[in-house]
Amino acid sequence: RERHRAKRRDGDREKKKRRKGRRRRASRAGEREDELQARHEKREAGRRKRAKNYQESEGRERDEEEQAQIKTGKTAKTKKNIKNEKTRKVEQEEGEAEERNAKGKKKHGSAKKEEKDEDGGKCAAKEKTQEVKKKKHKRKGADTLNSLSPEELEKLKEAVDERKKLIQGLRGKPWSMKKKLVTLRESQEFVEKYEGALGKGKGRKLYAYKVMMAKKWMKFQRDFENFKTACIPWEMKIKEIESHFGSSVASYFIFLRWMYGINMILFGLTFGLVMVPEALMGRPYGSIPRKTVPRAEEASAMDFAVLWDFGGYAQYSVLFYGYYNNQRAIGWLKFRMPLSYFLVGVGTVAYSYMVVIRTMARNANESGVGDDNSFNFSWKTFTSWDYLIGNPETADNKFASITTSFKEAILEEQESRKDDNIHLTRFLRVLANFLVLCCLAGSGYLIYFVVRRSQKFALDGLDTHTWWERNEVNMVMSLLGMFCPMLFDVISALENYHPRVALQWQLGRIFALFLGNLYTFIIALMDEINLKREEEKIVKFNITTWEASLYNSTVSENSTGPPITIQPADVPRGPCWETMVGQEFVRLIISDTMTTYITLLIGDFLRAVLVRFLNYCWCWDLEAGFPSYSEFDVSGNVLGLIFNQGMIWMGAFYAPCLPALNVLRLHVSMYLQCWAVMCCNVPQERVFKASGSNNFYMAMLLVILFLSTLPAIYTIVTIPPSFDCGPFSGKKRMFDVIQETLESDFPAWFSKVFSSASNPGLVLPFILLMVLAIYYLQSTSKSYKEANVELKKKLQTQNEENKKKNKRAALKAQMDLEEARKAASQTADSSQRLYHGKNRRNPPAPVREQGLPATRAPVPRNYHHGNHGAPGYLPGFPRQSEPRMHRVPSLQRH
Amino acid sequence: MVSPAIALAFLPLLLTLIIRYRFYFVLFYRAVLVRSWKDCVTGLSREERAYQYVLTHAIPGDPDSILEAFDIWCSKVEFISNIGPKKGKILDRLLMEQSPLTVLELGAHCGYSTVRIARALPLGARLYSIEMDQRNAAIAEKIIRLAGFDDDTVELIVNPSDEVIPRLRSDYGLERLDFVFMDHWKKCYAPDLQMLEGSGLLGKGSMIVADNVLFPGAPKFLRHIRKSGLYEWKVHRATLEYSKGIRDGMAELVYLGIK
Repeated sequence: RERHRAKRRDGDREKKKRRKGRRRRASRAGEREDELQARHEKREAGRRKRAKNYQESEGRERDEEEQAQIKTGKTAKTKKNIKNEKTRKVEQEEGEAEERNAKGKKKHGSAKKEEKDEDGGKCAAKEKTQEVKKKKHKRKGADTLNSLSPEELEKLKEAVDERKKLIQGLRGKPWSMKKKLVTLRESQEFVEKYEGALGKGKGRKLYAYKVMMAKKWMKFQRDFENFKTACIPWEMKIKEIESHFGSSVASYFIFLRWMYGINMILFGLTFGLVMVPEALMGRPYGSIPRKTVPRAEEASAMDFAVLWDFGGYAQYSVLFYGYYNNQRAIGWLKFRMPLSYFLVGVGTVAYSYMVVIRTMARNANESGVGDDNSFNFSWKTFTSWDYLIGNPETADNKFASITTSFKEAILEEQESRKDDNIHLTRFLRVLANFLVLCCLAGSGYLIYFVVRRSQKFALDGLDTHTWWERNEVNMVMSLLGMFCPMLFDVISALENYHPRVALQWQLGRIFALFLGNLYTFIIALMDEINLKREEEKIVKFNITTWEASLYNSTVSENSTGPPITIQPADVPRGPCWETMVGQEFVRLIISDTMTTYITLLIGDFLRAVLVRFLNYCWCWDLEAGFPSYSEFDVSGNVLGLIFNQGMIWMGAFYAPCLPALNVLRLHVSMYLQCWAVMCCNVPQERVFKASGSNNFYMAMLLVILFLSTLPAIYTIVTIPPSFDCGPFSGKKRMFDVIQETLESDFPAWFSKVFSSASNPGLVLPFILLMVLAIYYLQSTSKSYKEANVELKKKLQTQNEENKKKNKRAALKAQMDLEEARKAASQTADSSQRLYHGKNRRNPPAPVREQGLPATRAPVPRNYHHGNHGAPGYLPGFPRQSEPRMHRVPSLQRH
Repeated sequence: MVSPAIALAFLPLLLTLIIRYRFYFVLFYRAVLVRSWKDCVTGLSREERAYQYVLTHAIPGDPDSILEAFDIWCSKVEFISNIGPKKGKILDRLLMEQSPLTVLELGAHCGYSTVRIARALPLGARLYSIEMDQRNAAIAEKIIRLAGFDDDTVELIVNPSDEVIPRLRSDYGLERLDFVFMDHWKKCYAPDLQMLEGSGLLGKGSMIVADNVLFPGAPKFLRHIRKSGLYEWKVHRATLEYSKGIRDGMAELVYLGIK
């Protein structure tokens, strides 16, 4: 029987070896999972530590013994007996330890209470063992065959459980790292060795199998997680940037990636539901006038300059609104083109709203309720380091910035006490805002002036003017958009805000600037639309006369001849304001992109090259001094991105190619900017964490989304579509397409239901209900927030109270300790000797505790109320006077 | 032809540049324009004018008052790149902590830093000050004597530093330098430091302090100390003397010796 056992064990060991790696990983994962429990665990673990020490040594001995058994193959009854004795001893000793612990922790002077405590300690120990037994029974209920003696098995089981618990709670232990590592390794080895040996017979195999599957599943999950991370595009790039530049710069790139994702979906919608069906199933190019380049433009339609301006063949293609036909259904699929066009236009906007708002809500949930005002220095001390930095240079910068921020904070504190500079600061802030306003007004006026001038040019005819004059509006807008933020940045140095606040101000200002520019542009566009509509009326009139004349001429010549075929290129046509709007937006996007890239190349790359290579032959240090390398401008880039997106939303209805262009642009700028940042920028001097600013970006995006859908919806709703181009030509309004579909494609009852549902008598109550629901949710969330704040305050005051109490108790303890020392100094030696005689391994607890500083002594070991927050006890559990705990046990020994 | 509107759009850029680099413009004005104008008008060199001011406004024999007069002249009247009061405080502190017995100063200019160092030295210490320019050295000599330091405390050597350093051991009988202060030509920092290393005058714990390592800047020097590994070093960040917005640094090196 013994040999059989040995064999089995050998097999097991091999298996274990194989599983070793997996198991370690799994245990680590477990560690992470159980972090929450750790606090609770810690106390218990502390209590059990001593007992564990025994078991550890015991386990080792047992291990040796077993090996000996395997080698010799002899029966080991005597040894077993010894072992059992030992385990029993351990149990006894454990009990003693518990007693001592209990005594040590509950500090009562009287002997009666001590006795009680002893009982309590024993009870606790018993409970513990019972607990362990229960667990074991649960897990091992199926095991009937026992090759090990039950008692032994029990002991082993308990040891393994202890080890597991130790591993889980190891993180929270106040030990040195080395000790932690050593303990971890030892415990893991132990667990690996004996975990498999617990099951018996059939159950054992099953158990081993189960364990193996668990490990495999864990490993698979881990691999899957890794795979998922690897699937996130540009993750490594962004991480690298984060390590070099801190999280604020990385937040821009994360935002860019997010934007890219959104645009991919917009692109998929427009491309898949509008552009591709039209290109595949719609009438081909040249079949009808709106799909043909007019005769006058034919000569230059393929010139690069014209194509670059999105005229010529580009204008008469699926890229723009005007190309689409108002045929209700196209191709063999009977694809409803106009309906699809309209729904995609509405759907992109709706989808964007949904995504932005959902992201905002999620971010709002994540950001906790924290107040930055109190504990300023504590925050600075404990939270100012950005742990994502992995580059020594950035770390140096961060170090410097932390020190300067400390200096500044100290100065601020002093100043706030002095309280005389606040007026100066206020004045400076007002002044800065005034300057910024002046700047905004100036730029607004300049754009207005330029737009008016360009309208004059347009009336004169564009060919008489130079390229500069023709592109004046775009140039001025781009230049102002580029230089004004720099000026704002300089002005904001006056205000002396915290960089995060300063960033928000800066963002707000640039936002105002861009918004002003954009809306000036839109107003100019509106003027142009009105002009085009005037033109359209004339053309319409002309066309009727032209048709009449054509008809008359044909009739007058001969009525029997073949019907005249007119080349579609020759047919006169309206100006098609929708295509014009689309073209303007596409041009704006292109010029914007070009400006961004050129600034990047000149402002960053060229500067970096000059600084780097001229530094060898220059009279001062170019790198550290005057021109230096440029910093990455987070606010400007973020806003550029947001406004770019706004233009996409605005223009996408009239130019279905815009999302595609934007995807291209974002893709290129991801690579280009990543490269530029890593190659020619230096980390910011004041690196700060960007955790708070993400929702700010989102809020701006939402505002822009709203503001950009406003003009688009306005044009859709109020202006009638052109009569001879686009999917809605011939209709009074663009949204008539829905009504048309309802009438002709759906059964009659459906349209009835729809019309009755859209009855104001039904819609109004519904809206009212929604408003009420929103109001209700809003108020509840507000009250929750308030309750949170209140609870926080309560916690704080409690903590303070406890601190005071602790201080008092500690002082008292110290005084009493002095007394106790005096009293016990004569008898201490003998008591120590006694201890050593009694138990060899356990260092005498009271003596050790005496060695601790008195302030550390009052650590509550209140097992029954183990769930309280660690450092502060609630006032409901007043502390007893500690002082005697140090002395009492030693007295008791006598 | 570029239209005026486009030209106007460049106005914010111009303003930005002016505001951002205003300190450099001010420095240029004070250190170059005012100086050349005064040179033409008075016919004296800048250092001589400073000396005249100090002579009339300071108490002879009192180093503090001489330094104060210098500071006032440099911040209010004209600009001389002395070490200045703020960085001077750091230097004072380092000297107090170190209390060196043999000090070498490279670049006395007109004696401000020499007086500053000599003031902070312990009893029996000796300061060797090297100045290349004859006229500046004459003024430095006068200032030092005016502050009441005699030949035993301060010895002024009129020679370029790269000639003097190799001969320090033989001509001046030096065994070891406890403290070296560099404030001469920024380009000479790195070669002079290497020369000092080669001469064997630096012992373990010798301190070297170099001013203006960030502006005008001594990149080669910084690169050298970073790479050589002979030093424990740090840069005290401060602003350029008598100017608020230009950042500058003072490097503090402690020689560790070859391990």
